[in-house]
Amino acid sequence: MFERTLNVFWIVFGAASAVYAWSLGMVGPAGPESGLFPFIASIIVSGAGIVLLLRRAVVAPDFPRGGGLWRVLGVILGLMVMAAEMPYLGFSVTSFITMIILLRTVDRSSWLSAIALAFVSTASVFWLFGQILGMALPRGPWGW
Amino acid sequence: MMEALNGLLTGFAVILTPSNLYLCFLGSLIGTLVGVLPGVGPLAALALLLPVTFTLSPIGGLVMLASIFYGAMYGGSTTSILLNIPGEAASVVTCFDGHQMARQGRAGPALGIAAIGSFIAGTLGVVIMTFFAPAIAAVAIRFGPPENFSLMVLGLVCTLFMISGSTIKGVLMMALGFLTAAVGLDVVNGRERYTFGSVDLSGGVELLAVVIGLFGIAEILSNVETMAKSTLLADRIRGLWPSLADWRASWRPILRGSGLGFVLGLVPGGGPVTAAFMSYALEKRIAAQPDRFGKGAIEGVAGPESANNSAVAGSLIPVLSLGIPSNPVTALLLGALIIQGIQPGPLFIAQRPDLFWGIVASMYIGNVFLLLLNLPLVGLWVQFLRIPYRVMFPVVLLLCVVGTYSANKNVFDLWVMLGFGVAGYVLRKLEYDLAPFVIAFVLAPLLEQSLRQSLVMSPDGAMILIKRPVTALLLAVSVVLTFLMFRRRTKSEGGLP
Repeated sequence: MFERTLNVFWIVFGAASAVYAWSLGMVGPAGPESGLFPFIASIIVSGAGIVLLLRRAVVAPDFPRGGGLWRVLGVILGLMVMAAEMPYLGFSVTSFITMIILLRTVDRSSWLSAIALAFVSTASVFWLFGQILGMALPRGPWGW
Repeated sequence: MMEALNGLLTGFAVILTPSNLYLCFLGSLIGTLVGVLPGVGPLAALALLLPVTFTLSPIGGLVMLASIFYGAMYGGSTTSILLNIPGEAASVVTCFDGHQMARQGRAGPALGIAAIGSFIAGTLGVVIMTFFAPAIAAVAIRFGPPENFSLMVLGLVCTLFMISGSTIKGVLMMALGFLTAAVGLDVVNGRERYTFGSVDLSGGVELLAVVIGLFGIAEILSNVETMAKSTLLADRIRGLWPSLADWRASWRPILRGSGLGFVLGLVPGGGPVTAAFMSYALEKRIAAQPDRFGKGAIEGVAGPESANNSAVAGSLIPVLSLGIPSNPVTALLLGALIIQGIQPGPLFIAQRPDLFWGIVASMYIGNVFLLLLNLPLVGLWVQFLRIPYRVMFPVVLLLCVVGTYSANKNVFDLWVMLGFGVAGYVLRKLEYDLAPFVIAFVLAPLLEQSLRQSLVMSPDGAMILIKRPVTALLLAVSVVLTFLMFRRRTKSEGGLP
């Protein structure tokens, strides 16, 4: 069911993309326009989606359940928190908070070991990339 | 011949400086570590460290990235043999017999033959590359936009020909790669496409965010799902040097693996993973007692480990001499070169001999570094295997975030990384091969530019692709391969491909 829905999505997505690409123009007086190449790619996406939909063999994805599902969702949630908070809190604080969330939800670490590991790993990454390699990591209102 | 040797001397002159030697050693060290640690592949490591190379000289950065690539092939066998978990995809087959050898108390000879075989094959591969790559470039230097276009088409068709699983899904992934690459400014006229007014999208979708998402985040999601516990057979490492009987059994597989790996590395869509599997299949097929395979046959370690190392040298040839990546790792290397303002292709060797020969020379030295790192220091790598994944993955996650952010200093790329990570995780569950996506994504701007230049320079439109002999030949081969591919799939699946 999931794969069939995805195949329908490919068809619709490819068709919508082809319509948009057409609006960019196909061929003009100076030769091919901006829409030609994406139009061809979009048609291929739609066409492949149709072939996959007509196919008898369907993959039944082995999606996680129970603990596995929570761990996967925990990582996704952790990354969402990180991407949302980083512009406001900076790299160090956001990473520290995210690490604690991950270690508590995904690994079920104790509070003490989660805080210790989060501190050590965040400080190590910040030191290595921010200080030694000189990368400009986002800083919070407190300057780090 | 003399030209190649002179070029090699130039390369050694470039590479034999303290800073370049240090970067080669550092890359070999990181590559081995990446290979040893399950869940961190060479592609993700290269993507993570790509921004670091922006601060280095082009030769220093490329030497480091290349040495991570071939270093990972060496390190990958350690986890396969001791844990039965491949450190990276090319070492999957090493699990079959390598781990069985470890269970029988022969982990030492298994690790030894893997490292020595890798060294021999890696060095042989670079020797062939030394003479082969300039010859290919000398032919390709006469190519114009139509030939370049048809060569890239052939490369993409070969990629589809070699992928595992459904061809149609591969085609779909490739087309999606083209579409994703179309986001941003049109390479020819600067017009915005698929940006929908977003400032963040006007610069296009960041390569690092895509690669780290598809291969780094998706890998983490797959690994945390199971959090499998495994038994480390590290206490049984005794005597790394293989016995005379081991050598007798291994020298032919090493040589066969070196040759096969090199050829498969050359073919777009081939590369180390395919080479290792093909070598294992070949050794099993020609063995006097095939039933020994899977039960601790040393040939099952020697052949594939040699093949995957030799394939690295082979896979660098199309990207450096033609500008065509044969797998996602070389696609990223191509991206790294483009970011540094260097356009690989037929003119690369002529225009930047220091870079090309510097990379080749660094591979001779890197293979020696890797032999020294992998044999005497195997005990050190084993200690890294004792770090549980539950402790390691948050750190890898942080590295993914830093690697993605540092490319453009833009938080929007983190959302792109997350989106591609989730998409990659789901698509892998549905047996979509992600390699065609990445290769198409990197090649798309060059492919589109070549196609449009060809059509502009032609008075007969698309007929230019048929009228020029080299273009017609390359496209004819592509058509034949496409036909064979769909016929093979239709036969094997008894229905639609």
